Amino acid sequence: MSEQQGGLEEGGDYTPVGSRRTFFGWVTKVAAGLVGLGLAIPLAGYVISPALKRRVQSWVEVGRVDSLPEGEPSQLEYVTIVRDGYLEAKTQKAVWAVKQPDGAVTVFAPLCTHLGCGYHWDTTDRQFKCPCHGSVYDVTGAVLAGPAPRALDRLPTKIELGRVLVMYKEFKSGLSKSVEL
Amino acid sequence: MRIYEWFDRRLNLTSVERTLLDEPIPGGASWIYVFGSATLFLFLLQAITGMFLAIYYAPTPDHAYDSIQFIEEQVAFGAFVRGLHHWGASGMVVAIGLHMLQTFLYGAYKSPREVMWMVGVVLFLIVMAFAFTGYLLPWDQTAYWATQIGLNMVGTVPLVGEFLMKVMRGGELLGALTLSRFFAVHVLFLPAILVTMIAAHLFILRRVGPAGPWTDERASLGRETFYPRQVYMDAVVMLAVFAILASLALLVPFPLTDKANPSDTSFVPVPEWYFLFYYELLKYVHGPLEPLATWVLPMVVILGLFFWPFIDRNPVRNPIKRPAALVSGLLFLLVVFSLLGLSIKNLYAVPRVDPALARGQALYQQFGCIGCHRIHGEGGAVGPDLSYIGDTRPDREWHLKHFRDPQSVSPGSFMPKFPLDEKQLNDLASYMLSLKRTPS
Repeated sequence: MSEQQGGLEEGGDYTPVGSRRTFFGWVTKVAAGLVGLGLAIPLAGYVISPALKRRVQSWVEVGRVDSLPEGEPSQLEYVTIVRDGYLEAKTQKAVWAVKQPDGAVTVFAPLCTHLGCGYHWDTTDRQFKCPCHGSVYDVTGAVLAGPAPRALDRLPTKIELGRVLVMYKEFKSGLSKSVEL
Repeated sequence: MRIYEWFDRRLNLTSVERTLLDEPIPGGASWIYVFGSATLFLFLLQAITGMFLAIYYAPTPDHAYDSIQFIEEQVAFGAFVRGLHHWGASGMVVAIGLHMLQTFLYGAYKSPREVMWMVGVVLFLIVMAFAFTGYLLPWDQTAYWATQIGLNMVGTVPLVGEFLMKVMRGGELLGALTLSRFFAVHVLFLPAILVTMIAAHLFILRRVGPAGPWTDERASLGRETFYPRQVYMDAVVMLAVFAILASLALLVPFPLTDKANPSDTSFVPVPEWYFLFYYELLKYVHGPLEPLATWVLPMVVILGLFFWPFIDRNPVRNPIKRPAALVSGLLFLLVVFSLLGLSIKNLYAVPRVDPALARGQALYQQFGCIGCHRIHGEGGAVGPDLSYIGDTRPDREWHLKHFRDPQSVSPGSFMPKFPLDEKQLNDLASYMLSLKRTPS
């Protein structure tokens, strides 16, 4: 509607015109904008905030060094309490640990680097084998065959007072480099 | 603007815009007409904040309380969003109250607007139902016990009362089924009904037109269009309402009480302020007369309100010329507000606030006691939970000795000695002693 339109419309209704009309329109828009911003910013933060939180990693004992056979991978239970929003849930993972001759322990993430299947240790062939697409790794985690793009991912491990401590992490599958999720 | 023109050529929007915005207001725009829009704005705000609260809320007794605590403490702006929803509920009751008061004063419920008034009364009742069902959702002590009382009141209705109570509760006890049905009613059923009724209310408004001033001479002076001046007034009021609610949400914390505990009957629940007058009324009526107050009187008031346009048959709208209606309205308000005032006075007369408590609480914060001790679910779990320490350790001397040297009263305690002077020791002890199940 043009601002030059008369104050009296057809039917005898009065509509403010000119600068008065501009003022009313301007205040209305500012009020709507302020309320909109006042809601949009907090609400966006409210929805997004859990996506920005980093998972808190902690060291978890998976077993004792003495009980591990040297050079032979063994599957160990990784049990931890995870905070899932307002819930606290116990989660279990099975990781593969190999004791080296020098007493150090290498721990592999339990997922094949190809597409994230669970692999197992074949005791006769002395190889890690993934049942899904036939990836094969040796005892050091290096790729021997199959579509696996990289060696098995290693989890941060340390030994304290004879206990093996592991920090569980997940890695992106299908990449030639280890990228933590 | 280009986009608008493109759509306008196809959808003929300009005529819709004119229909929506050029509604004539008899006697011109006025600040007195903003209450309806303010109520509508508050409803939209409640709907939006409610939807966002539902993102994290879990309607089960196991998790409801934890999920609200999560919103309050972990989610960015969580306390703000919940605060807006909480204060918005109160704001809605205030806005509806003012809207009804204005309608009453202007005689705007009279012919041909009787149906609009009746739909309005239903809208008011729906809002009250929202308040009742929403109150339980945090699943804290206040929520649990207040709802227990509300349901018991339904139970006093003769013949059908007990059955009705069981249906609302979803069985024999107030628990999982109650919470999930209150949640479903609060977020799905009531909003659907409310939206329909608002649509009806606005549809009728457009069919009969706004009432305008109570004298025809003033109404005929001019008919101003709804846009732009009334829109501007409504927008300014909406911004003011939002500013008030946002400040309340930011500045007045609205904490949870302890998690609902069905075995703890010592808890004294207090209803929301808009149910307080009724709560107060019930204190004066006991024994065989109780059903009179719990359901006969509310029923009479609601029916009276609903059929008011047919009770007040005087066609004049000018308030001065209809003293009977005005006096009965004033009398009603007088009773409600006297009861409300009495109730607030009684509630606040009981716990006298000792300034030492506030100072003690400040010390508790200042020395980081919260790092090890927990009060009502907040704080570390290293030291003992202090939520009700006033009940378990009522001896002031013990606290004083303990703060000076924790080892002297609890051997083996690894709580450090804190450097406190005599006054600080006393203030902190006062605060500890005040942490009781039933505030004295």
